Amino acid sequence: MRKLLDFLIGKRHWFLFIFLEFVSIALIYRNNAYQQSVMFSTANIITANIVSVTGSVTSYLNLREKNKDLLERNGKLEMELLRMKDMIEAMKADTAVFRAFVNDSARFFPYDFTTAKVINNSVTYLSNYITLNKGRKDGILPDMGVVSESGVVGVVSTVSDYYAVVLPLLNTKFKLSCKVLGSNHIGSLSWNGRSARYANLDELPRHVQFQIGDTIVTSGYSAVFPEGILVGFVSSFERQRDDNFNSLKVELATDFQRLSNVMVIRNFRQEKQWAIEREAQGDE
Amino acid sequence: MNNVIKGISYFVLLVLIQALILNNIHFLRLITPFLYLYFIVKMPVGFTSARVTFLSFLLGLIIDIFSNTPGMHAAACTFAGFARPAIIKVLMGDELPDAISPSFKTFGYGGFFRYAIVLVVLHHFTLFIAEALTLFDPLFLLIRIVASVVATTLLICIVEAFNVEGQRND
Repeated sequence: MRKLLDFLIGKRHWFLFIFLEFVSIALIYRNNAYQQSVMFSTANIITANIVSVTGSVTSYLNLREKNKDLLERNGKLEMELLRMKDMIEAMKADTAVFRAFVNDSARFFPYDFTTAKVINNSVTYLSNYITLNKGRKDGILPDMGVVSESGVVGVVSTVSDYYAVVLPLLNTKFKLSCKVLGSNHIGSLSWNGRSARYANLDELPRHVQFQIGDTIVTSGYSAVFPEGILVGFVSSFERQRDDNFNSLKVELATDFQRLSNVMVIRNFRQEKQWAIEREAQGDE
Repeated sequence: MNNVIKGISYFVLLVLIQALILNNIHFLRLITPFLYLYFIVKMPVGFTSARVTFLSFLLGLIIDIFSNTPGMHAAACTFAGFARPAIIKVLMGDELPDAISPSFKTFGYGGFFRYAIVLVVLHHFTLFIAEALTLFDPLFLLIRIVASVVATTLLICIVEAFNVEGQRND
């Protein structure tokens, strides 16, 4: 008995080693799921405060370029607004107005957004995350969509009171349902872990017509993003092995390496949509 | 007591440098130096296996929290820390006094370099394998491991060369 005890005590570092490795692997697997625990992420109040130091320093670095991008974007939106106004005017002129339908035009648009600042960002790992400086107290909840001024960024995965962690497109766990602008067939966009500029759109039926340079937008099926938000542009494509689908290489519209301000989109009907989808699945 | 304070300040400083500066470096999308390993490298030779393993785990876990990768750095550091006494024994023999920390002076230039590179290789290998569990791409993985090992080892040796405190230690 004594010998056994001596043996166990002599080898205690082995037990400690095995135990700690076990804890680590448990952490890896437990957090591999889409939702992370707040304690072990940068949404945790202490770490978030520390990383926001660098966030606030680096946010000054490319203000000039940001400003130029925003101006350009602003100009484009203004042009679009003018074109639409023009279109509406033209339509109004062509349409006989029937008073009873007027109320219809004030249709409820179920999306709202909050702006947030990126305080921590990575693009090198296979599982990248972005930390935002807003959290539950600012109305941010898990599963909200995040977009930048140039395109889709990702989905909120973990939220603490004042900070949130976003699962971006540049994470191999993330999949986004997308379509080629102008068609209605959806494919699934995912990242291959290589370049921060490109992602792959798979499972797009072969008969869908598209050209290099065409725009890829969100499909709006997921209840996270509204339909038609810019994701990227087709840069090349190849047949998938089973020959019925195309695999597209998509140049992402968002430049993840210099992301500084984002918008978090809230869908008021998300829960209702999910509830009814769950109900439908439960019925089967 | 003095040594404890020294150890804690090393720990905090290295974690901050790693979390705030080095984690943002991704040269050619391949290389991220993990300088925080310097803490494991510099622990006194006399520390027991259990203590080194535990401190390494703690270091890894904190780095994990900062980089949103729960468990990955912890697993890699635990392994590196666990292997450290064996590495020292194999490379430097049994006769080292307990109080010294590994440095250019105590281990010699070649000895310290070999010791650092073995430790870094073990750590990076475990880290990148743990990360690759989500996506497997052997060639890319190998390139990343080699590139980061070179960067980390160089950085550790450079910091060591400028670490005045380490030179007059004994």
